[in-house]
Amino acid sequence: MLNIMKITLKGIFRDRVFQGIMALAVLFLFIPSAASLSMRQVTELSITLSLSLISFILLLLAVFLGATSVWKDIERRYTYGVLSLPISRSSYLLGRFLGLALFLVLTSVVLGGAACLAIKASSVIYPSDRPIVWSWLLLALFFGTLKYILLVAVALLLSTVSTSFFLPVFGTICTFLASGITQQVYEYVHSPAAAQTVPAQLKPVVTAVYYLLPNLSGFDLKVNAIYSIAPDFAGLALTAAYFVAYSAILLGGAALLFNRREMK
Amino acid sequence: MSKRLPVLLLLLGLVSYSLLIGPFTSYMRNKPMEEKLGYVPSIMLLKPLSADQKEMVGASLVMKVLMYYGGVVGGAREGVLSAPTDLQGMSRLLHGAVQLDPYNMDAYYFAQGILTWDARQFKVANDLLMYGMKYRNWDWYLPFFAGFNYAYFLKDYEQAAHYYNLAGDLSGEPLYKSLAGRYLQEAGETGLAIAYLEGMVRSAKSQAIRQSFEVRLKAFQEVRRIELARDRFAAERRHSPVSVGQLLQLEYLKPAPVDPYGGRFYLEPSGKVATTSKFAFAIKNK
Repeated sequence: MLNIMKITLKGIFRDRVFQGIMALAVLFLFIPSAASLSMRQVTELSITLSLSLISFILLLLAVFLGATSVWKDIERRYTYGVLSLPISRSSYLLGRFLGLALFLVLTSVVLGGAACLAIKASSVIYPSDRPIVWSWLLLALFFGTLKYILLVAVALLLSTVSTSFFLPVFGTICTFLASGITQQVYEYVHSPAAAQTVPAQLKPVVTAVYYLLPNLSGFDLKVNAIYSIAPDFAGLALTAAYFVAYSAILLGGAALLFNRREMK
Repeated sequence: MSKRLPVLLLLLGLVSYSLLIGPFTSYMRNKPMEEKLGYVPSIMLLKPLSADQKEMVGASLVMKVLMYYGGVVGGAREGVLSAPTDLQGMSRLLHGAVQLDPYNMDAYYFAQGILTWDARQFKVANDLLMYGMKYRNWDWYLPFFAGFNYAYFLKDYEQAAHYYNLAGDLSGEPLYKSLAGRYLQEAGETGLAIAYLEGMVRSAKSQAIRQSFEVRLKAFQEVRRIELARDRFAAERRHSPVSVGQLLQLEYLKPAPVDPYGGRFYLEPSGKVATTSKFAFAIKNK
């Protein structure tokens, strides 16, 4: 399993993905000057831009690396070679997942460092009224990374059942978009305001979908990092536990499906 | 033929691109301002679409408004705007921005600027400030704005004192409380406006915004000068002056007041100083 993880990491570096990310990271240089356009919250805007850029890069990585890694192996028939080795299909899949997760963590650390420099630069040029709480910024980065690792698990699950990369790529994107709003929809449907407008039969359906889809809005701590608002630590512990439980379900399901998949 | 085709196609593309890019750029630059502010999808749609980038989308909406406003104010020549400002559009975008990110201070700050003096939508401005206060509960600027709106525009001094006190508590600056109390009672409308505008000019970072506050401040300073001359005249001669011209002629007022908005000051029958520009730039007839 560890070997597969290493191979996955090596493969990503060989595909020059990391160089691509570094090219995008050049954008961090422009963040202090872009943030200075703000009228009253330069530092806040620089944190917004930095976290958004990191989030966007991690999303691209999670969707495309997560959705294509297993599909590519099957397509290129590498899986035959790999699976003839004395390792189980499950450990192959888990190894892939751990490799991708590690790469996301690595990217997040490197980009997080660049972001901290950019934010520090803008806060020195235009001191903010509200002090930056760096530990909350790191917490936001940490939970952001967890979120995209969970998305990798979604992509892997979808690629174990799919024969093309369309389902994994678009399925993951749709899951990501839906996961940000399920909470709102759930709360709306169960609010007194919706009692008249929403048919009663719809409630259990919405509730089922809400429990089925991952709820990624809890992982978004950007507001806390940007405006130095204290996060709810008990809630964060719950969120972290949610991450572990949901990833376990996804990976377990993916491994089961992959074990049963016919490879011709 | 087939070998030359790609080269031909590339050349043709390059030539037509270099011919087109000039006119295209100038077309985009000269697009009417309303089109530049553009259509923004309803917030119901924007919210789910912006996924975990809500703060970013909110900030970009504010930037869009700021760029547009900078263009309009920067385009003002000799007190004449080339086109009416799309206040409704700006307000819509700013309201959208705070729904995406209720903490975005730029949106509140800018909305306070345009919704009060320009759009004269005091209720809308104050509702927005109340909404912001629920989130930015550490920020003294929001109650400071609300206090000013209540005192100056709505003449609700009780509410004004409440919000000025809140601003004093949050900033830890007892000055706000005592100043607020004094201004509300003694300084009258113009003094209140000058004090507020001086603060706004000092804290403005954006060039376009500072410029717009400076023009207004200058206008109010001129009003204040006429008011002082009027009061001196009334005190010495035991009757009110009939016109600004009379104050000038009898040298109570020197030099002649200039309205930066391009209007002419006059005295209303009640003695109140007013201007033909109504403190707004004229709009060029097309």
